[in-house]
Amino acid sequence: MPFISQIQRQSDYHRFPPSVPIVIDNGASYFRIGWAGESEPRIIFRNIVQRPRHKTTGETVTIVGDHDPALLKYFDCTRSGPRSAFDADVVFQFEIMEYILDFAFDRLGADGSEIDHPVLITECPCNPVQSRSKMAELLFETYGVPSVAFGVAAAFSYKYNQKRGICDRNGLAICSGFTTSHVIPFVNGEPVYEACCRTNVGGYHVTDYLKQLLSLKYPHHMSRLSWEKVEDLKMEHCYIAQDYASEVGLFQKGTKEAEQKARCWQLPWTPAPVELPPSEEEISRKAALREKQGQRLREMAEAKRSSKINELENELNGLEFLIQQLQHVGEKDIPSFLSTTGYVSKQEIESAIVKTTQSLRKAKGEQIENEEKADTSNAEKYNLLNVDDSLLTHEQLKEKKRQLFLKTTSEGRNRARQKRIDEELQREKQNKLEEAKRLENPEAYLEQLRAKYTDLCEKIEQKKRLKTNGGNTNGNGVSGGVGRGERLSAAQKERMRLLTTAAFDRGKGEDTFGIRDEDWQLYKLMSKDNDDEDEKQDEDEAELSRISSRLRDIDPTFTPKTDVGSSVSEASRPRPLTKEDFQIILGVERFRCPEILFNPNIIGIDQAGLDEMAGVSIRRLPSKVRGAEEGMTNSILIIGGSCLYPGMSERLESGIRMIRPCGTSIRINKASDPILDAWRGAAAYAAAVQFPQQTIKKMDYYEKGEEWLRKYQFRYTH
Amino acid sequence: MEHEVIEAELVLPTHLSFKKVQMYEKFPKGQSRGRHWKHLKQIIQAENYQNYPADEPNYVNIESPPSMHPNKKICDITGYEAPYHDPRTKLRYANTEVFKQIRSLPNEYVQSYLALRNAAVVLR
Repeated sequence: MPFISQIQRQSDYHRFPPSVPIVIDNGASYFRIGWAGESEPRIIFRNIVQRPRHKTTGETVTIVGDHDPALLKYFDCTRSGPRSAFDADVVFQFEIMEYILDFAFDRLGADGSEIDHPVLITECPCNPVQSRSKMAELLFETYGVPSVAFGVAAAFSYKYNQKRGICDRNGLAICSGFTTSHVIPFVNGEPVYEACCRTNVGGYHVTDYLKQLLSLKYPHHMSRLSWEKVEDLKMEHCYIAQDYASEVGLFQKGTKEAEQKARCWQLPWTPAPVELPPSEEEISRKAALREKQGQRLREMAEAKRSSKINELENELNGLEFLIQQLQHVGEKDIPSFLSTTGYVSKQEIESAIVKTTQSLRKAKGEQIENEEKADTSNAEKYNLLNVDDSLLTHEQLKEKKRQLFLKTTSEGRNRARQKRIDEELQREKQNKLEEAKRLENPEAYLEQLRAKYTDLCEKIEQKKRLKTNGGNTNGNGVSGGVGRGERLSAAQKERMRLLTTAAFDRGKGEDTFGIRDEDWQLYKLMSKDNDDEDEKQDEDEAELSRISSRLRDIDPTFTPKTDVGSSVSEASRPRPLTKEDFQIILGVERFRCPEILFNPNIIGIDQAGLDEMAGVSIRRLPSKVRGAEEGMTNSILIIGGSCLYPGMSERLESGIRMIRPCGTSIRINKASDPILDAWRGAAAYAAAVQFPQQTIKKMDYYEKGEEWLRKYQFRYTH
Repeated sequence: MEHEVIEAELVLPTHLSFKKVQMYEKFPKGQSRGRHWKHLKQIIQAENYQNYPADEPNYVNIESPPSMHPNKKICDITGYEAPYHDPRTKLRYANTEVFKQIRSLPNEYVQSYLALRNAAVVLR
């Protein structure tokens, strides 16, 4: 990072007598403070305040400027981000401004009862008087400053460079700062504010634009793109294209030059551990384990079965014993005897015996030949079916119903079996037929099969698309669904339409619904389950799978299309992340972002860009200094953090050449130090003997009122 | 407070001898901290610039006029020159590949791309 904060506390505060002014360059991005007459500011820090909560004690603390991020781990910074006192380039939040001044004076070493030094502080051109008076009030009342002077940073910078011969008495200062860009013309060494112009675009917008673009391009790495990091990227990689259209053309064509111009930021990435295939030993060990477990399970099942058989045999023996005993018991004693056993009648016991024997057989693994038996004894089994109802008793009627049920089910089963056999035969026949065809002309057969395959594939695909997209193929095939309408299938959509029309028709006019018979068809259409499409599709899919298996058998070159059925599962399977997934490529962004300084409409700000502003400024010059405009372009000075991009001067020159008359001499100079010159110039002015006459005394502030403060202007010539 | 935090003098002290009015006196605890400060728009409104002569420079009239150049139309996604404009998403695009991409973008992204050039639909 080119700018590094200096926040070491100074120890020589008391060396300076009260007459030495303190000089402050209050820029929207950086705050610089130092002593008049010195060549470097003492303290530099970012003009921001954070008020996080301390994690352990819970108290809210104030942190000014940027610090070692490692120390911020003790604080909960999630509630409030860094805040600035600026709205555009005007100070409006004087609570924050006070924290910043506190910190600045503290680090400058102040420890008396007040700040007993005049203060020269910078402000934006044509600062609203409200902001100026609030700043004066803060300095006078809170810090006890004896006098204050306000100047414009760009003017100090211009004058500083003029003194070093870099620019002339007449000229233009093009100052591109953090939140705004200004062009200020100078005539006879004084800034002409009537003719200056401001566009609300600056370094902040460039960084923000880059940050937004990158986080939209790489949503997965959003968390890595912190403001500070993107600011670094901007300073390191951004440049200004001489001609945006041709530069972007290089990238669009994918030329070699563009490839060289692209920059890549590799995020920390560790390759995922590669899983080695299990060794022989491992496999055998696992197999043995599995075998052992299987053995155990089998043993358990065997034990369970034998115990069940045992149980059933016992039961059967008991029942048989019961029957035998029952024979010895007299007819009239039966009920009393049975009441002790839990059975009601002899029949019941017998049926229990039959059941038990059946389940015993089942448990022993014997085939139940019930069905065959049933077939043979069909006539006697369904003996009641042919008897008329009137001849039967109540009990028999019940029995008849049961028999009817049994008969129909068994018949149905038979029919299904018959059908299956038929189908088998049919398929066999078809296969034979196809085999014959194949043998007859293998080439043609294969061709035919393939054609059929692709045909079916397409058909299914289309149907699927129709189902998901509702017939509205919007170019991107699979997942174009944005609105609700596109999630419904065609059938569902139609249903929706019917429902809504039905709902709306009810209200208006005469209700004629139901007069015609067709009206009632509507309900049928509305009912949910008329998606008979599905069956057809299933048929298609079955046919497709048959053909593809056949193709696989006979065609060695055949590979089934994967995107038919399994495309969803294919895509959702996580791909191992590669090095490329952790790269942030800066291609077009390198010059697209700074381009907003020249074309603010790219980010929706409808104002002139830097080159046009120069023309606007010259045009705005009042008529009495019209003569000076010739020389204006001969001494253009570019100042501010946003003019550090490579290619800035060249682009400005070609831009200004376009709008000025032919043959105008154009000379563009970069300030000796575009960032610190403003402070240095201000320090030089504050050290001059005339400085005290330019300051606002405390008494002036209280007595002369706001109108006077509004008229106050720092003079840069003596 | 941790030792290293104190050592780095990270936290601004609450009492500073050189101040006539301390922060805690101005904003005592319990009183709402972030008192309302006029935003730039409100400040400008309060300045009543219309009461002053038009040729006197002020914060509002030094602003640049709209650009005289035709708007540069660049592709919202790639930054290429964009001859086309998608009526559905309102995004500008350079070629068919970008078109495919923008049609598969979720609405959220479309809106953020539009917001970049201040053209998003703002629901209030």
